[in-house]
Amino acid sequence: MNRHILTNINIGRVMIYLILLFFALIYLAPLYVMFTTSLKGIEEIRSGNLMALPVDPTFYAWAKAWSSACTGSECKGLAPYFWNSVRIVFPAVIISTIIGAFNGYSLAKWKFKGSELLFGALLFGCFIPFQVILLPMAKLLGSLGLANTVTGLVMVHVIYGVAFTTLFFRNYYVGIPTELVRAAKLDGAGFFAIFRHIFLPLSTPIFVVTIIWQFTQIWNDFLFGVVYSGSGTQPITVALNNLVNTSVGGKEYNVDMAAAIIAALPTLVVYVIAGKYFVRGLTAGAVKG
Amino acid sequence: MGSISLKKINKSFGSTEVLKNINLDIEDGEFLILIGPSGCGKSTLLNLIAGLEDLTSGEIVIDGLDVSGESPKDRDIAMVFQSYALYPTMNVARNICFGLEMNKVPKNEQKAILKKVSEVLQIDHLLERKPGQLSGGQRQRVAMGRALARSPKVFLFDEPLSNLDAKLRVEMRTEIKKLHKRIGTTIVYVTHDQIEAMTLADRIAVLKDGKLEQLGTPYEIYNDPVSHFVADFMGSPGMNFIECIVKDENLIVESSGQKYELSIPCTDALNNSNLDVVLLGIRPEMLTEIQPTVVENSFIHQIEFDVEVIEPMGADTVVIGQWNGTEVIARLSPESGKTAGKGFILQVDTSNAILFDPNTGLRIR
Repeated sequence: MNRHILTNINIGRVMIYLILLFFALIYLAPLYVMFTTSLKGIEEIRSGNLMALPVDPTFYAWAKAWSSACTGSECKGLAPYFWNSVRIVFPAVIISTIIGAFNGYSLAKWKFKGSELLFGALLFGCFIPFQVILLPMAKLLGSLGLANTVTGLVMVHVIYGVAFTTLFFRNYYVGIPTELVRAAKLDGAGFFAIFRHIFLPLSTPIFVVTIIWQFTQIWNDFLFGVVYSGSGTQPITVALNNLVNTSVGGKEYNVDMAAAIIAALPTLVVYVIAGKYFVRGLTAGAVKG
Repeated sequence: MGSISLKKINKSFGSTEVLKNINLDIEDGEFLILIGPSGCGKSTLLNLIAGLEDLTSGEIVIDGLDVSGESPKDRDIAMVFQSYALYPTMNVARNICFGLEMNKVPKNEQKAILKKVSEVLQIDHLLERKPGQLSGGQRQRVAMGRALARSPKVFLFDEPLSNLDAKLRVEMRTEIKKLHKRIGTTIVYVTHDQIEAMTLADRIAVLKDGKLEQLGTPYEIYNDPVSHFVADFMGSPGMNFIECIVKDENLIVESSGQKYELSIPCTDALNNSNLDVVLLGIRPEMLTEIQPTVVENSFIHQIEFDVEVIEPMGADTVVIGQWNGTEVIARLSPESGKTAGKGFILQVDTSNAILFDPNTGLRIR
């Protein structure tokens, strides 16, 4: 009797895992194709099977994509643009996260007259489509002398990101009891001391969520990158597009694939390292600890 | 030193008046209880004293200094919150020392204070733990430790025991009283529990709808309430209120199908009031079985009583019946409680009975 039930459960389990495995395979298939193709020579791609493993694996395509592939008239590979992206992403993520943390902390725990209205207005910022702000922002960057610069792109991403980071932090901090703030006030702590000693140590999950979100958004951004960058300051997404669209002779699929993986790698790495906090952080406010 | 003087305190949230013209003087070293039903403004008043809310109008004076506009940290007060509000990421030691740290007290001094406070509250074995690893009673102690560490002029307690289970609540109540005896610092304590109020207070301030209804010692509040509201709020089981017709300075009570005339102490006031119907207020402990030792006087009556419900409480037995169609609670000894039933002979002592105007709820005296 017991054995019978046990078998039933096992069959159910096995089915579930099989189905999950099936979907995981479908989901991972493109990545597999990209990766194997990037390791093949161009002859092998032309003659061989798309799904086949590389017969003679080579990093030729990776090396070329990184340092010598042509992106338009320049032929220096993705490397310079990768570093452009890094120079844009790091300051933009750090600045927008810090501003968001203080905004969220003030809006959640130091309410003032009109603070709800301000929060509503900031929230509205999350729903403004990129396209709407392209022209006014271009004009602003021009008049500030920041057109076609990395600093200009950082500024655009910070401004656009603050709405999201504020929302994340505000919603997280609303869940922290206000009595903690009151107790700390009586203990003699001020605005920054309370943030530093009480809120900051509680904030790891929401920092991780915000950083992953901002990193992914900014690293993957194409539109701002293509509009506001000059020839030397393009981010990697724009360079990838140029690389794929530049054809000297035949199309080198292996180089395209390697370049695409290089462009996607940093967000992947960030997610793998911090991913467990991501899910935890998104649900943290839901259940009172 | 820690005297507090509240002068003409008003507080509104938008168009809602929460506190109306509160005047209250609290002496140095006094244990004052603020009590009232939920929404009466007692917690708001405490927050005003703490400086966590801004006054709409009025003045708060601590030790002769007007602190109305001062920020909480400059008032030299400490507060124990209902939810304890312990800092979740700090261990017990740092929770207790955080206020000292913020006030830049030297480290070795902090250590000495921590040692003293944790010994007084018997939490010295918990110092390394985080609040999440403590039981409710331990958290309560840590919250008190945090308040004690700064040795302020005034302690404010905001319903500190309401999150504890019944047994622990009684224990902590006694401990708070002992603590007050020992340190002698002024305490303002908010509660809605009338037993806490009676047992702890030097004086009780009863609040109703944002107004100070009565201020007095527990004895005065219990035995000499100014209004139906105060009389009803204090005491468990509560005071009996029976509407009675007045006849020749006596009150007519119908019990068990018979009419009785009860004589009452405050006849002059009754005559002056010119009321035909009054509300008789009498505590359940004045309605008992016949007490053989009582000296006969005009305020001792014996009347028949139809007991409908018997509730043994252990030390005594509460029985419920009706006078003039109103529910009446009497307090019998457990032995008498066993035999109580229809036509039980009740001894009614009206020497402490009080009268209210049934229209206004105010005392007739």
